[in-house]
Amino acid sequence: MTTSMKTFACALLTMFAATAALAADVPAGAAKAKEVCQACHGLYGNSPTPDYPKIGGQYPDYLAKALRDYKSGARKNAIMAGFAGTLSKQDIENLAAYYSSQPPVVATKH
Amino acid sequence: MTWSRNATYCTESPPMLKQTLLAAALAVTAAMPAFALAQTAAPAGDAAAGGKKNQMCTGCHGIVGWRTAYPEVYKVPKIGGQHAAYIVKALQEYKSGERSHPSMRAIATSLSEQDMADLAAYYSAGAAMTASK
Repeated sequence: MTTSMKTFACALLTMFAATAALAADVPAGAAKAKEVCQACHGLYGNSPTPDYPKIGGQYPDYLAKALRDYKSGARKNAIMAGFAGTLSKQDIENLAAYYSSQPPVVATKH
Repeated sequence: MTWSRNATYCTESPPMLKQTLLAAALAVTAAMPAFALAQTAAPAGDAAAGGKKNQMCTGCHGIVGWRTAYPEVYKVPKIGGQHAAYIVKALQEYKSGERSHPSMRAIATSLSEQDMADLAAYYSAGAAMTASK
């Protein structure tokens, strides 16, 4: 392998590693859900409390956006600000992937 | 009648009138939070009526996988089967501006409390889960 090939391979690996950092880890999301979200939204996202939304089967990009907005303060809610504030970008991706992969309790309705 | 009794006080002595007015003012002030609460309590929703008011919702929430493009790209949430109380709260927050999304703000602003309750009743009643993919 020439040096330039090695450099190229190295660059490719770095790029993959960088993108992989935000790939969602569903089991990690499940663990975090058990710790942070379960009490209100339910472990599978079928929230038993009318004030708290059902999130099982919701779109992952919507869930991630909601969490990012709670964390940044763009969306204001005293309860969610506290929880979302503790989450990393990776946690948010993991949780969004985990809840969206649960049996749907919300659906598109015309 | 309360008013005639107050009127009697009025003829008796000015200090008594002052006391009566003060008491009345205090009573009104004390009653205000309860009144405010009664006003914000959501009216009962009528799902059938909600189904006739949802033309503004279906263009996005009625299409599987529909994405909102502004100000950020993401899929609009599925709302069939969502809790009615949460839907009403979301609409109220969009209307007040507490929750920001240009289209939702414009739409929610046009809705009365009754409209919100009716839409929430309609959507919370669920949807065919086959349409959830």
